[in-house]
Amino acid sequence: MIKFDRVTYRYPGAQAPVLQELLLDVEEGEFLLVMGPSGSGKSTLLRCLNGLVPHFYGGMIIGRVRVAGRDPVALGPRGMADAVGFVFQDPEAQFIVDKVEDEIAFALENVAMDPLLMRKRVEEVLGQLGIAHLRHRSVNTLSGGERQRVAIAAVMTLQPRVLVLDEPTSQLDPQAAEEVLDALVKLNHDLGLTVVLSEHRLERVIQHIDRILYLPGDSQPAIVGDPRTVLGQVSLTPPLITLAKALGWSPLPLTIKEGRQFVRKLEAQQQPPRALMSSAQIPASATSTAPPRPSAISVDELSFSYNGHRALSDISLEIGQGEFVALMGRNGAGKTTLLMHLVGLLKPNQGRVRIASSDSSTALDTRQAAIDDIIRVVGYVPQNPNALLFSDTVREEIAFTRLNHSLPAVDDTALLEQLGLAAHAGHYPRDLSVGERQRVAVAAILAGEPQILLLDEPTRGLDYQQKEALVAFLAIEKARGQTIIMSTHDVELAARCADRVVLLGDGQVVVDGPARQVMSESLVFSSQINKLFRDPALLTVDDVLRLHRPPNRDTITDVPVSEGVPELMAPSG
Amino acid sequence: MFHTLTWVIWLVAAAVPAFTLRNPLYQVLILGASWIVYLALGRTSPVGRSWGTFVRIGVMFVAVAVVFNALSSHYGTIILFRLPQAWPIVGGPITLEAAIAGAVNGLGLLTILVVFATFNAVVDHYQLLRATPAFAFQVGTVISIAITFVPQMVLSATEIRQAQRIRGHRFRGIRDLLPLVMPLLATSLERAIQLAETMEARGFATVLHPDSLESTHRRALLAQAGLLAALLGLLAGLFLLTFVAGGTIWGLGLLILSIAGMGIVLWGQGQQVRRSRYRRVRWRSHDTLVAIACGITLAAVIAGKLATPQMMTYSPYPPNSLLPPFNPYVGAALLLLALPAVRWQVSTSESEQTTEPEGIQP
Repeated sequence: MIKFDRVTYRYPGAQAPVLQELLLDVEEGEFLLVMGPSGSGKSTLLRCLNGLVPHFYGGMIIGRVRVAGRDPVALGPRGMADAVGFVFQDPEAQFIVDKVEDEIAFALENVAMDPLLMRKRVEEVLGQLGIAHLRHRSVNTLSGGERQRVAIAAVMTLQPRVLVLDEPTSQLDPQAAEEVLDALVKLNHDLGLTVVLSEHRLERVIQHIDRILYLPGDSQPAIVGDPRTVLGQVSLTPPLITLAKALGWSPLPLTIKEGRQFVRKLEAQQQPPRALMSSAQIPASATSTAPPRPSAISVDELSFSYNGHRALSDISLEIGQGEFVALMGRNGAGKTTLLMHLVGLLKPNQGRVRIASSDSSTALDTRQAAIDDIIRVVGYVPQNPNALLFSDTVREEIAFTRLNHSLPAVDDTALLEQLGLAAHAGHYPRDLSVGERQRVAVAAILAGEPQILLLDEPTRGLDYQQKEALVAFLAIEKARGQTIIMSTHDVELAARCADRVVLLGDGQVVVDGPARQVMSESLVFSSQINKLFRDPALLTVDDVLRLHRPPNRDTITDVPVSEGVPELMAPSG
Repeated sequence: MFHTLTWVIWLVAAAVPAFTLRNPLYQVLILGASWIVYLALGRTSPVGRSWGTFVRIGVMFVAVAVVFNALSSHYGTIILFRLPQAWPIVGGPITLEAAIAGAVNGLGLLTILVVFATFNAVVDHYQLLRATPAFAFQVGTVISIAITFVPQMVLSATEIRQAQRIRGHRFRGIRDLLPLVMPLLATSLERAIQLAETMEARGFATVLHPDSLESTHRRALLAQAGLLAALLGLLAGLFLLTFVAGGTIWGLGLLILSIAGMGIVLWGQGQQVRRSRYRRVRWRSHDTLVAIACGITLAAVIAGKLATPQMMTYSPYPPNSLLPPFNPYVGAALLLLALPAVRWQVSTSESEQTTEPEGIQP
């Protein structure tokens, strides 16, 4: 179905080729996952499949590409449109028409398809993607997952033989991502459609895919093979695989179910019995209540509604200085609304939010205090770093914040160094990768020297490597005594960083407690490792490795993921 | 729901009197009819929310017109109060007649605004765009994209404003626009490029045969050249007509020729675009009814203009009476504009199915 014969491609003006001598052969009906670090050429490869590369981007291509018996290099995207369906990353920028049904029919109207046949096609596709109930809705009112399914439906009407998706879930929350991936698996199984997908969330798709193409970047040769083989060779893996490799489990378990078998074996080998051992090893911070700390933010019976919709009701929270709180909950549970209250962008309808300030003895009440006084204490990094960045260089972004806060200009090298941005100080922020842009936004906020840092979904769109960089950075900030409140869907991130989890549901606090306790009691909000061991003491790979010494010490040091992490997870009490 | 064409007819029937009848009684009737139509049909549509804004703008116009006219026009016999003569322009007697005349002017604007706002709220924009003639198809597509784009732009703008605010950004001068405008511009551009790529990937080029790309290019070039020639001809014709003595015949001939040429080129371009329709909006009996009613309204307005021109306009200044004249037949005809609302109440269940996708027979 897809054949790449020694394909080399270079973007216009680029020094080195992105793809080098690439060989690939995909069978009809295969589900291929393309993975690799950011900038390794995943998107480029996918765009070769329908001729967007080189037709939309220019550049130089050598070698032979064949997709569904056609040559995309010669035909270009227009000639490939009915053979290759292409879905992009951003669910917001793919729509031409406002109404779902019209959007799906638009391509067919354009090829002047017979109305009767068109009606049948639209109906089929609505059914296949499970979006028939959305047909009369405006695309602007849909959730991210629904939008992405509409986008898939819109390309499926032309009945392509290959469906290509470029990180379709990176902008979505876990539930929405699952919706989209489930829809893909169904299309692949039911129709035998060839699917090529690039994706960060391996844990969701890994059991459904046939093969993985790993692009390591930096002109390294690509690796193609079945999931177990490829994952055994690469370092960007979900916690389950990382652990399995560290403990030398073979064959590699891809699902929790497969992993449980190894866990049972492991538990049987343990002397003395696991139960005793684990309770002895639970870090003190998890079991004993933390010593009372001076309050940083206190939220008192806060209620807020907009457009007649109750977003927050009766929330009371006491957040101590130096605490790391993860705010979790489904989409629309009120996480962002709560964060916006904490920085005074929204004012409570009822109740109050008070922020302790080191400058003055009295706490700031967000209802009365000027926002300029609040932001001296609280720094807020919004979900979308693009909303902040406007300067020509990273350095200027930082200088802008300091100027706004009437702070003297300082040498920002240390801050940039800490965020791993030193090399990009003079670069245009919007040219950077998603992860780097996220960190520039963090730098721009930290430049104001806030005592409390609020992060809204900091891992959105990050790959495993970028997430590691973020985790390492947060660990340093926490060690410095920074109070951090982070809203996140990322269970693994919360498990590794936070010492307290507040679970919001429908605008109310459902659970509020130490991270380990909350996460081990929950089914949805528990980490992969926790699901694997079903033990409150074990949330992360490092928890397990501390307990179960692997037979050979070298195995751990080979796992790059653990770098910089032990100090973070070291028992604090 | 009504057929798009029905709404266009309604718009014409309501806008023509709104533009031509300068008489508050008729204007109030048009206003009332539009309001009833909006209340019955327009409130559910997402665009309908802007109706209130249009009304507010119109009311502001009325207020401004009253003040402005009362202060600047000093005619009339009923004097409310006097301003010192020495004041330029505003000085002198302030009369009730002048205030009323201002209100009538403002009311005219308000009526026009409300008519268009109502049309905007009740019509299906996508259907309206699809009703554009074939040669304007691309323009229609661009507008439909813009309509989809705007709500996202507004969202981004709010997000950016908040993000910069909590970064300590304050708005003090023009220079402070940069942190707000730059991200919005960049975000919109990025989105636009992404959309262009999406459209490219989905094969949204209005090319008939993908393999005859070459000949399509040539034809497009030819059409553009033809259009340019026709426009030049038009210009030359106008020039002959106005500036050259004795050039009237030649000028007129050239004008007609150019317009015909333009028509042929556009028609030819329209022939190139082949597309089918997913939805076919059905013309139903209530569409006929409303169309006939609108025809009656228009006819009555024109007849009134011809037969009783003195009853169609109103001026409060002496020697006229302060009471506006009124032709009850025209007034009754204007009330017919509210018919879509009445009709809807009766036939809700039947008319829900008007915009069925093609292929289903009633």
